[in-house]
Amino acid sequence: MSGLLATRRRTRELPERLSALDAVVTAAEGRVRPELVDAARGVLEQAGQRMRLSPGSTVVALAGGTGSGKSSLFNALSGSALSTVGVRRPTTSDTHACVWPPADAGPLLDWLGVARRHVVPEAEADPALHGLVLLDLPDYDSTEARHRREAERLVGMVDILVWVVDPQKYADAALHERYLSRLRAHRAVTLLVLNQADLLTPDAVEACVADLHRLLKADGLGAAPVLALSARTGAGLPELRGVLSAAVAKRAAATERLSADVDAVVDRLAGELAEPADGQALGTVGRKERARLREALALAAGVPVIEDAVRRASLARTVAATGWPFTRWIGRLRRDPLRRLHLEAPAGRSSLPPPSPVARAGVYGAVRGVVDAASHGLPEPWARAVASAAQSSEADLDDALDSAVTSADLPDTRRVRLWERGVRLLQLALAAVALAGVAWLCALFVVAWAQLPDPPTPDVGPLALPTVLLLGGALLGLAVAGLSRVVGRAAARRAARRVGAELRRRVDDVADAHVLEPVKDELQRYVAAREALRRAG
Amino acid sequence: MSHSADEPAAGGGLLPRLGALRAALDEVDLPLELPGADAVRAEARALAGQLDDYVLPRLRSIEAPLLVVVGGSTGAGKSTLLNSLVRARVSASGVLRPTTRAPVLAHAPADAAWFTGPRVLPGLPRETGQPGSPGSPGSLALVASPAVPAGLALLDAPDIDSVVSANRELAAQLLAAADLWVFVTTAARYADAVPWSLLREASGRSAAVAVVLDRVPPEAQQEVAEHLAAMLRDEGLGDAPLFVIAEGGVHDGLLDEDAVAPVRGWLHELAGDAAARAAVVRRTLHGALAAYPERVGRLATGLAAQAAAGEALQAAAAEPYAAATDRVDAALEDGSLLRGEVLARWQEIVGTGELLRHLESRLGRVRDRVVAAVRGRPAPGEELTVALESGVEALVLAEADRAAEQAVAAWRAQPGGAQLLEAAGPGLGHASAQLRPAAQRTVREWQGGLLELVREEGAGRKATARVLSYGVNGAGLVVMVAVFASTGGLTGGELLVASGTSVVGQKLLEALLGDEAVRRLAAKARADLRSRLDSLLEGERERFTALVPEGLGERGATVAERLRGEAAAVARELRSAR
Repeated sequence: MSGLLATRRRTRELPERLSALDAVVTAAEGRVRPELVDAARGVLEQAGQRMRLSPGSTVVALAGGTGSGKSSLFNALSGSALSTVGVRRPTTSDTHACVWPPADAGPLLDWLGVARRHVVPEAEADPALHGLVLLDLPDYDSTEARHRREAERLVGMVDILVWVVDPQKYADAALHERYLSRLRAHRAVTLLVLNQADLLTPDAVEACVADLHRLLKADGLGAAPVLALSARTGAGLPELRGVLSAAVAKRAAATERLSADVDAVVDRLAGELAEPADGQALGTVGRKERARLREALALAAGVPVIEDAVRRASLARTVAATGWPFTRWIGRLRRDPLRRLHLEAPAGRSSLPPPSPVARAGVYGAVRGVVDAASHGLPEPWARAVASAAQSSEADLDDALDSAVTSADLPDTRRVRLWERGVRLLQLALAAVALAGVAWLCALFVVAWAQLPDPPTPDVGPLALPTVLLLGGALLGLAVAGLSRVVGRAAARRAARRVGAELRRRVDDVADAHVLEPVKDELQRYVAAREALRRAG
Repeated sequence: MSHSADEPAAGGGLLPRLGALRAALDEVDLPLELPGADAVRAEARALAGQLDDYVLPRLRSIEAPLLVVVGGSTGAGKSTLLNSLVRARVSASGVLRPTTRAPVLAHAPADAAWFTGPRVLPGLPRETGQPGSPGSPGSLALVASPAVPAGLALLDAPDIDSVVSANRELAAQLLAAADLWVFVTTAARYADAVPWSLLREASGRSAAVAVVLDRVPPEAQQEVAEHLAAMLRDEGLGDAPLFVIAEGGVHDGLLDEDAVAPVRGWLHELAGDAAARAAVVRRTLHGALAAYPERVGRLATGLAAQAAAGEALQAAAAEPYAAATDRVDAALEDGSLLRGEVLARWQEIVGTGELLRHLESRLGRVRDRVVAAVRGRPAPGEELTVALESGVEALVLAEADRAAEQAVAAWRAQPGGAQLLEAAGPGLGHASAQLRPAAQRTVREWQGGLLELVREEGAGRKATARVLSYGVNGAGLVVMVAVFASTGGLTGGELLVASGTSVVGQKLLEALLGDEAVRRLAAKARADLRSRLDSLLEGERERFTALVPEGLGERGATVAERLRGEAAAVARELRSAR
């Protein structure tokens, strides 16, 4: 009839499961409900301590309500009169322990917090029970709340639980709702004993045991064995001793109990780290969201403004270098757009306008889009962790964008290019030609005015050479200016594009560092937690 | 010492007050899932139940037989005791637990009329015939027995502590409806926590209690009885009669005659003495009523907590939206909406001389269209409008998103908020789906309203020839820019320096913005836009406020007032009846 320690075959040993559970706790800290993390930590700590303290011995606790006969049973099993059996209720107020040789159970009992200990003398000890540590717990349902707390504490620590019930109390809500139904993961280490069977007829005993089985099945402990006995008359005690000695011989009770603890906590954690409900893939950040984020950050960093300023500065420089010499000095009156932005200043902020509310709104929307995509399918507390990882403070982002922009190498817009130099020389030459024409014309005019004879003036076609010089020089100069303006515009656009690309690369780095990397870290953490949970299950 | 003359007078004043209290209890509603709300709901149900089951029937018919409820833990021997008192197996008793499913009421044949009708315990249907079978749960099995003295009825209640929760609830209800409790416990169970919490309650209410200590091993009788008596004295139940019945001595499911003789004798004595009966009735009734002000006070506190939580939720949702509204208003005023794209578009217009051409001729618009058709791009004027539109829309959308996210986070931290969020579903943390089209519509309507304003203004004031000659659309553009640029951080000059427009355009805009009419129009238009955007955000906030059950504050306060008033009136009546 004994189903005690009827272990189910597990694919992984306890130490491996414990280290996997540790990995889960590390990954899931702060991202699942704190009570679950605390429960898992508690299991790990308890396992660590129990396995250090005589792991081969078997700690069995007799638990039950007041008056069920735990102390009588304890005395009968240990062959002592250690526990006080009385009529006044409640009786047992402190836990008693009985230790069978060769268990060196001192440190173990210290850890359990049991002060009253009785060691069975070597000569009297039943060799089949060697390694057993038997505890008589206080009740869990009397008016003394202290007893209940002590009983609950030890129920959470011992290896095998023997619940002692009697025909009056076997259907009490306290037993089933507070304890048995919550310990369904521990069915391999649970045993029920129906005491005081001598008060009932054999038929009644059978009916009671059957009813108790029914209640246990409802609690989820349908496989737990039930023994009927009477501590007073001794009926049924040999069977109980047999069950206990079989369990003690296996020397695996501690491992079984801790495995059951791990089972229970893994079940609870599995609820929090579940698959996405609708079967879709876990959150990933797609290309669309990434592109939107980069665009929004570029806008907020003022990249278009800088591009525009570069373009206009470049064009202005070209015009200043290659424009018609007689009018190009006007342009210098205007301030250099790029200088105005103070982008060269290494320290301190640039004079770029701070991001407008619209740009900020764009950044917020883009970050939110990334977060929504990434947290798709994640359980709620984890989704919140992803959101807080991505939404670093706005000031940080502002600073990062600003420094990314100011640290970029902007082309020196004041440097005059080679072709511009050439064109400038050409313009100067043409201007010189035009001036020569003007001077010649003036000289002719002076000669005509001074009524001197006309010097010979060569003709080019219908016009005189000086006029041709003047007109040609001026018109050619204008044409060259116009052409070089067109070329300059294209060059300016190219320069602006180059600068834009460089700036956008830096902004992308900021996006990665401040938003995308933290989000990816969180997702990886989630996957790691799930994987570790699978290994612990 | 007959009090029967006094009772009708007390009943005369109390009954209507209690009826009003009962009616007020029906209106107690605690929709928010606050910690402790469940307990308050249970208390309201228990109070209403006790009024229906016991207090009102007892007050209406003060001379009805005493209802003695035999209650206790599972396996204590309640059914066996009842059967032994009645000398017949009317209540099933057995080994399997819990046994009693349906309560059994044993009464004298003469008293049948009092119990067959729905006078006491009106919620339980009556079942007669078939004594001894378990009975259908939820009904009251009536048994007429000559062994029960007239003026008394015995009710075998289900247990108070088995796994069957329906039993526990029914037992609590029956004990609340009793004139006299006979509490059965055993030598093994007499120190259990659950029975003692009920006994403590009985003591607190000054209910009439008798205790039967059952299944006592003969050798332990003295000690256990003394211990129990001491415990009873400690709880203020020192005057409760204590009967001890020894273990064994059960034949055919009935206890021996001499074992139950003391209990039977006491019950018969009580039944025969009308004055003693009246004293018991009075004591239990008075005790129950005296507890009402405190119980009602707890209900009122619970209602107040609901109202406070509802207000807190409303405030928590309003705050992020108020901040969002402020930010939107600020963005409208400080000219920052004009940066970036909008400015580029404006610069295109002014820099290329578009605006000049636009302004000079009424045909400018037509020319723009032609040029735009040829060039394949929309006219810069249109692009400016579109840029402004999308800027405002993006701003409102992002602020609404942010406010929704913050409101959801605030509600999660508030008591009662988490359940409301679950009921609402996942979309609450984002701006609602129809906000984008609504925002677009709003901005377009505003632009239309703006043009209307400009038209009116132009028609009304002949002196502003400039406005007229610009053409309505051109002037509209100017005013739109002015709306976002006039006060706060940017003046027209700064605006243009930042963008580097041509000198001509700069002069033009300064001249335009300096104009009084334009400034006034801009102010009006800004106020209009602000109020429209504010109402958009208001609509978003409504999604949250609609989730909080309305009228928690006022309704709860009125009900709490009524409850307190009625309870105080009841207390006054009680005092005057003494």
